[in-house]
Order: sequence, then structure tokens, then C-alpha cells
Amino acid sequence: MILELKNIDKSFGEKEVLKGVSFVAEGGRAFGLLGRNGAGKTTSIRILMNVFPANSGEVLIDGKPIDYDKIGIGYLPEERGLYPKKLIIDQLVYFAELKGMRTKDAVKAIDYWLSRLGMSEYRNKRLDTLSKGNQQKIQLITALAHDPDIVILDEPFSGLDPVNAMLLKDVVKEQITKGKIVLFSSHQMSYIEEFCDSIAIINAGKVAISGDLHEIKRTYPRDKIVVNTTKPEQIKADLGEACIEREDGTLLIQLDGPDKKQSMMKRLVESYDVDEVKVFEPSLNDIFVEYAGSQV
Amino acid sequence: MKQFGKILKFELNGYLRNKVFVGITIFLVVAIAVVMFIPNIIAALESNDEVDVTPIDLPTMLVYAEDENLSAIVKEYFGNAFVDYNIKVAEGSIDELKNDIISGNAECAFVMNSASSYTYYVNNLSMYDSNTAIADTVLQEVYRVGAMVQNGLTPEQAGEIMSVQIESGIETLGKDQMQNFFYTYIMIFALYMVILLYGQMVATNVATEKSSRAMEVLITSAKPTSMMFGKVLASCIAGFSQLVLVFGTAILLYNVNKEALSNPLIASIFDIPIELFIYLMIFFVLGFLIYAFMFGAIGSTASKLEDINTSVMPITFLFIIAFMVVMFSMSSGSVDNTAMLVCSYIPFTSPMAMFTRICMSTVAWYEIAISIAILICSTIGIGVFSAKIYRVGVLLYGMPPKFSTIVKTVFKKQ
Repeated sequence: MILELKNIDKSFGEKEVLKGVSFVAEGGRAFGLLGRNGAGKTTSIRILMNVFPANSGEVLIDGKPIDYDKIGIGYLPEERGLYPKKLIIDQLVYFAELKGMRTKDAVKAIDYWLSRLGMSEYRNKRLDTLSKGNQQKIQLITALAHDPDIVILDEPFSGLDPVNAMLLKDVVKEQITKGKIVLFSSHQMSYIEEFCDSIAIINAGKVAISGDLHEIKRTYPRDKIVVNTTKPEQIKADLGEACIEREDGTLLIQLDGPDKKQSMMKRLVESYDVDEVKVFEPSLNDIFVEYAGSQV
Repeated sequence: MKQFGKILKFELNGYLRNKVFVGITIFLVVAIAVVMFIPNIIAALESNDEVDVTPIDLPTMLVYAEDENLSAIVKEYFGNAFVDYNIKVAEGSIDELKNDIISGNAECAFVMNSASSYTYYVNNLSMYDSNTAIADTVLQEVYRVGAMVQNGLTPEQAGEIMSVQIESGIETLGKDQMQNFFYTYIMIFALYMVILLYGQMVATNVATEKSSRAMEVLITSAKPTSMMFGKVLASCIAGFSQLVLVFGTAILLYNVNKEALSNPLIASIFDIPIELFIYLMIFFVLGFLIYAFMFGAIGSTASKLEDINTSVMPITFLFIIAFMVVMFSMSSGSVDNTAMLVCSYIPFTSPMAMFTRICMSTVAWYEIAISIAILICSTIGIGVFSAKIYRVGVLLYGMPPKFSTIVKTVFKKQ
């Protein structure tokens, strides 16, 4: 299944929020939607979920306009919150029913997810008796219980401890393996880098760059080498200004051009005591800062 | 439609499981039950201590006249007229009499300047003091009888003339306002209370969902129209069942305890024609819905619960004005005045105004039909419009937006 947003324009009053946003997300792969605060991520997600219509543009599934009665969407909003005063099981069943599940199936699915996330003991408690992280796990169930085709997770890892983050990672990986479209929005680049095969960076209502993360990285000139060594002094002395020491202790060597890559690597391995030599690839963080750093 | 059913069920459950809601309902039913049995309770108490009824210490009323004859006559007549007072002829000067009143030895005094002129002395004149009015009547009678006797009639003849009885009978061809006043009053008041209370509840309910951010999930799961209609209808059903329960208890207990409640005033409250009940339900449901939709829409524009009270003020004012017009017209007795005529066709005021006119006056069927038709159309219109405001409103955080901004946004979308 392929989800495509095509030339989406949206304005609120005088303010143009989205200007021709397009991106493609595939089933069985995670997609990262990135952008600074106020760039238009949530608006894109809301249009995708049909909360309000776009001024122009289309949302397509496999090339055809999306049919919201057939395609299920699960959403974990960035602004978390359910009914604090109501029993957990009651509200989870309610949300699942709103998504079109029958009561019996809803209860079954919710009980599965409660035990999967280790929350069964809270089934008949009020939501506001839970800690924030646990409330977030409950909210995750509202996004997954109805077995949606598209899962949208907005900052899913914020507020989770490392154990819960692991649990969530497993759940997300499972959803990806099931062939679902998993759409991530996050500012924690490490998670996006870990999960997402393709990304789109939105800047000031426009897609600054989108596509396969690997290919994006490959578009950068391969004219820098990273060296991991315990004795950096000699290399630094020999290479002079072309070599700088990075914050993590590794050395970054700027080459005259990508064609010098092979010879430099050979020289480093033969002449110095090095642990690791590799071609420098920008991290997602670097890419993000480059494309989203300057907001118009 | 399926979603609507789910939302209705969930919201209704919210009311039925709300301890405050259930508590208030039970309290009202118990209170009604107690009120309905008060005559029995009083009767039971009275039958016990019937024997030791002590004569009450009556307050003193002084009478003073220079002419001793006059003061004797006045004392005698006043003795019959003021049964709640101990009448005494004052001795001494007017100043002493004033002191008696100030010191509390006497409550009030009539100083006769002549047979047809007096000064009334009282320490604090209460709002409901009708002593001078009674004195006027009594003194007029004394004067007239005296005049008749002077002109040759015997005191008996004069007495007969003064106490002539007029026989009369009333046949009401339209509505009897006196009979209908009390139940109309009670129903209008119930309508007023229920709409304001539940309207506020709907507004708070929407604002709570918004401030707890449950809205973020809700709005992506259900259509705003289903949300709005589900919520409002749930509150309508809850409010209506509360009313039915309270009034049902009252009517049931009245029928059980009819003999003890033989007071004609109480009987007039329960003597409601069935067609008025049907009108009450129509106007109640429509009036409730139209206001609840507006309250819901307002609730969706508030980001914080604290904003609700100021935001709903215009609606509350509109409603209170409608209530005041109806109440003033009712107590003035002219329920068909121009204001009421106009109000009975304006959808926001017609539930109370038209209902009052149906109860207390004669209204042609087509007038009622037009009023109800306007109300139904406006309710649907307001409902749909509120759902649109709701969709825009629930995603706006921060300062509550201006009404004009919202209207502009809503119409631009279409």
C-alpha cells in the first residue's frame, strides 16, 4: 500500500500554512515526517486524517483518493490526553467503537494490548491514577487497538523510560513487519534514524527534501573521512588544516575531492595506528539542520 | 449514524454514572416526597398537642381621641377588625403614646383627629403593613352608618345596607389565568433551570475534552456533527429524565395523597390538561436543544474551563431576558402583549413565550404551528451551524476567538 500526499495547500485565514506539500509513504516501511515547530507537520497529519479539508491537493492510497470508511488510521497525537476521570477500559472501548469496532472485538483487542504493554492491572482504574508514561501507553492503545492500516505516531518516545521505549520500539517494528504504513513525527533524530527508511523535512509549509534516507545521505559528496584512533596527534600534525578533531574524539579529514578517498584511506591504514576508517556520511541531525535550519 | 449512537451511549453513561447527577436527582425526589406529605405530617403533629394551645400574647394597638365617645366607638370597631391586636384606649398625652411605641410597650397607635381623619404612629413601617387600609375601611363604615342613622334610618337598616351580599358566578370561555398561573409558573421555571444548568454542563463537557486534549483523538475518530448531536441529545435525555422523575414522583404522590392535599391551590398545580403536557414536551425538547447546541459551540471555542463562564454570558443573557419578559407578562396578567407576541415567534424565546400563551390565553392552532415550525427549523439550523463552529473551535487553542472570526472561518469552508 502506498500513501501519497500530492500538492497540498492549506491556509487558515490569511496565513498560508502548507504550500504544495507532497510526499510518499510505503507500507512495510516507516516514514519520518520532520520539521521545526510550526513548520506544518500537524496540519499535514490532520489533512491526511480528514480533520479538515485541504484548500487544494489530494490524499491518495495506491493512486486513488483515500476512502476513510475503508482505510483505518491510528493516531497518537503529540498533545496527549484522554478522559482523566473515566475508567481506562471504558474509554478505550469507546475510542475503538468510534473507529468502527464491535464492542466484543474491541474488548478483546484492548485486553490483548493491555497485557502486551504490561498494563492489565490498570484495566479498571481511572486514567488520572496512572503515571504520565503509563497514560501514554494507554493512549498508544487507542492508536493501535483497531488494527489500522496507517499508524501515525507524533513524538511517541517522549516521556518514556528506556524500558518502555524498548517496548514501544518492538511494537513499532512489529507494525512495520505487518506491512502497515508507519508515519513518525519526532524531534528525536536518533529514533527516526533507527526506524525510518524514508523521510520528508517540512520547512515553512514546503517540503524541503524528501525520499529514501539512504539515498539522501548518498547525495552528499563523499569527500570526508572519519578516523577513529587512540593516537590522533601524529595524523593532525601531518595533515594540518585538513584534519579537525570532532567532539566525540574522532578525526574528520577533508579531502580535495571524492576521488582522493581511496588513496587517503590506504595511507591512513598503512601509516598510522587507527582503529576505524570510514567515509563520512551526514547524520540525520546534520541534514535536518541544513534543510530546516533556516525558516523563511 | 453508528458513531452517533456510540457517542450518545457514552455521554449518557457519563451522566448516569456521575455521582453528583445521581445524588441531586435522588435529593430532588426525596424533597418532593417530603413536601407532598407535609400536610399529613402537620396533621399528625397537631393531633398530638391539640390540648395545650396557649393564647398568644397579642401586640398592643393604642387608640386615642380627644372625644371619649369617639375613642370608645373606634375601639369597639377596631376590636372586631384587628383580631391580631390587643386594642387599648391610650391614656395621657400624645408624647407619652409616642414613647410607648418607641419603648416597645405598644406596636402602633391611631390618633383620631376627627371621625374621618387620623394619624398612624408606628416605630418601623413594615412593607406589608396594611393596618391603615383596614382602618380606612372600618372608619368609612363607621362614618356611613353614622350618617345613615342621622338621616332617619335605624342602625339595623343601616347595617343591612352596609353588609349587602352580591351573588356572582364565573364561567370561563377561554383560559382561566388564576387556575393556570401556578402550573405555568412552575413549568416555565423548570424549563429555565434545566436549560441553563444542562446548557452549562454541555459547554463544560466540551471544554473539558478540549482542555484534557482528548479532543485530539476524538476529532480524528468521529465526525463533528455526530459529536455535537450525540453530546447534546445525551444531555437532553438526561435532563428530561430527571424532570420526568421529579415531576412524576410529585404527580404520583399527589394522587396517592389526594385527600390530605385538598388545598385548591395545590389542586390547581396538578390539574394540568394533557395537551399542555404534550406542548410542554415539544417546547422543552426544542428549547433545550437550541440552547444546548449554542452552549456546546461556545464550549468548543474556550481553551480553558475558566473561559467558559465569560464565553457563555451572551447566551445566558439572551435566555434571562426571555425569561424576564415571560415572567413580567405573566404577573401583569396580559400574556398577549406585543412583546410576548413577538417573542412567541423568535426561536430563542418562543419555547417559554408561546408555551405561556398557550397555557394562559387562547392561541389559534396555526399560530402554534407556525411557532413550532420556526423553532424546529432554527434548531436544526443552529445544530448544524454549531457542529461547524465546533469543528473549527476545538482545534483552536489560546485566546477564545472573536465570534465574527469564527463565523467567517465557518462560511469560508463551505
